[in-house]
Amino acid sequence: MVSDLAAEVTAALARSILPSVIARGASVRVVAARDGVVTLEADGSPGAVLPILGRIEAQLRAAVPAVTAVRLAGADPEPPSPPETEDLSRAAQRILDAEANPAIAAHRGHVAVDSVSDGWVRIRLEGGCQGCSLAEVTIRQGLEPLLRARLPAMTGVADVTDHEAGTDPFFSPEKR
Amino acid sequence: MGRRVLLLVPARSYRAADFMLAATKMGLDLTVASDGALPTGGRPVIPAHPDDPDRSAGQIASCCGPVDAVVATDTPMLLLAAAVADRLGLPHNPVGAVLAASDKARQRQLWADAGVAQPRYETVPAHAPAAAVRRAAAATGFPCVVKAVSLSASQGVLRADDAAEAVRAATRIRRILAAARQRAAEPLLVEDYLPGPELSIDGLLTGGALTPVAVFDKPAMPDGPTFEETLLVTPSRLARHVLAAAVRTAGHAARELGLQTGPVHAELRVTASGPAMLELAARSIGGLCSRALRFPGDKSLEELILANALGEPVPAGSPPAPRPSGVFMVPVARAGVLRAVEGRSEAEAVPGITGVTITIPLGRWVRPLPDGDQYLGFVFAEAVTPDEVEKALTTASQRLRPVIE
Repeated sequence: MVSDLAAEVTAALARSILPSVIARGASVRVVAARDGVVTLEADGSPGAVLPILGRIEAQLRAAVPAVTAVRLAGADPEPPSPPETEDLSRAAQRILDAEANPAIAAHRGHVAVDSVSDGWVRIRLEGGCQGCSLAEVTIRQGLEPLLRARLPAMTGVADVTDHEAGTDPFFSPEKR
Repeated sequence: MGRRVLLLVPARSYRAADFMLAATKMGLDLTVASDGALPTGGRPVIPAHPDDPDRSAGQIASCCGPVDAVVATDTPMLLLAAAVADRLGLPHNPVGAVLAASDKARQRQLWADAGVAQPRYETVPAHAPAAAVRRAAAATGFPCVVKAVSLSASQGVLRADDAAEAVRAATRIRRILAAARQRAAEPLLVEDYLPGPELSIDGLLTGGALTPVAVFDKPAMPDGPTFEETLLVTPSRLARHVLAAAVRTAGHAARELGLQTGPVHAELRVTASGPAMLELAARSIGGLCSRALRFPGDKSLEELILANALGEPVPAGSPPAPRPSGVFMVPVARAGVLRAVEGRSEAEAVPGITGVTITIPLGRWVRPLPDGDQYLGFVFAEAVTPDEVEKALTTASQRLRPVIE
């Protein structure tokens, strides 16, 4: 049976949060709601949800006063990495450092592996890449195919960068 | 083998990420051409030079391989996309039509010849003296609107209530054009100011026939002297017969420009004698505004555009959005350095608000209209009725406090 809190949170999600999450290429659903703590699960690109999790929590707390905390399944402090995960993380960073970061440095940028889970490599774009209007092109045309070719065990690449916080993007959107 | 699309992406654009996401969701195989030199490594991005479309189109066509469609994500790539598609034998808008759609004076002329409803207008040649502006304004009548023919986003558009104001507006707009490095010999338009509600229509053309996909009301449109487009709410609350007439007018206007395929974004005012065309562009709605729209099957506007380019039918008939929605574009109140946008949490807490995105990096110099062409960011809302959407966006906008020093 779905708890009242879960139902309220589900309604609030549908009403005011899901559209912006979907617009970022993902979706979220409530998997647990107990003692004020809501656990969400993301479908699609986790990189689309992680950077705005704080805002989702603020909106849910405003909409449903009984909510005290919001967690994303799989995004809490990670358990110790199994060796293969650690290997994937290190391997991805090594490939990025050797084959992507020297060129990206020409755009005042840098790409770092943030974490790895379930085969997903979560990357963080820094410097000129943070907030760059062509960051998504760089990831989907450049970084993801590069890592996919080198790391067959990888499921995909998720961007966990808070692009809105970027202050020096190489290409800024600016003009409408 | 999957369908392959050549995407032309300008370096400065809000639109790249949404098109990339849409293509990924549709499982398309993408080839990207851009004027932004990208350190991508994996799959090379083809260099594109939109300022030299003939030559660049040849280069792109020779190295992009077989593709099923060519799509420009934003205005700077429209002409080049038409030229590339022409070389590849793919459906496209005639180059002349794209040129006409990017020149407001040419639009006016073609629409006048075809009897499309629009404001009375006069064209003032580049370098013409003040007397020519006065004559044009007097012929048009007051109040009038003086505008550049090549700019967008209400940049270089000013209302004038008398001849002296018209001359001052023309002088200021020419300075804006010079700063924007537009072509030196650009004429100005002086046209009748049309009172009445304003709306925008986004649609897709198939064989020259327009299928509307979203109609936005612009309830907060100012009377001038500048014309910030801040508030967009869909679906429109105008009467059904008025909307039908507006869609017919926009479709007529697109055909008379020679446009055949792809997205159009039309802006109209509803006057006492019916809808009249303000402008039409051969692209989708600008900025991040398309994120306010979701279509049946949870599709984005970019998915519809890509599907249309691939020859798939455009869904029509049903309401375009599952719920009323809207967007507030945060205007620049004054010139200076953007230091912060305060009140964001308070704005996000307004019931109905689904997101607040600030797109100008902190520390950037910003200028208000008519000199600038920027908005600080976008606020999105969704609610049960369009009135509630408008209320949510208005309340949220009042809670945002941009700090510009």
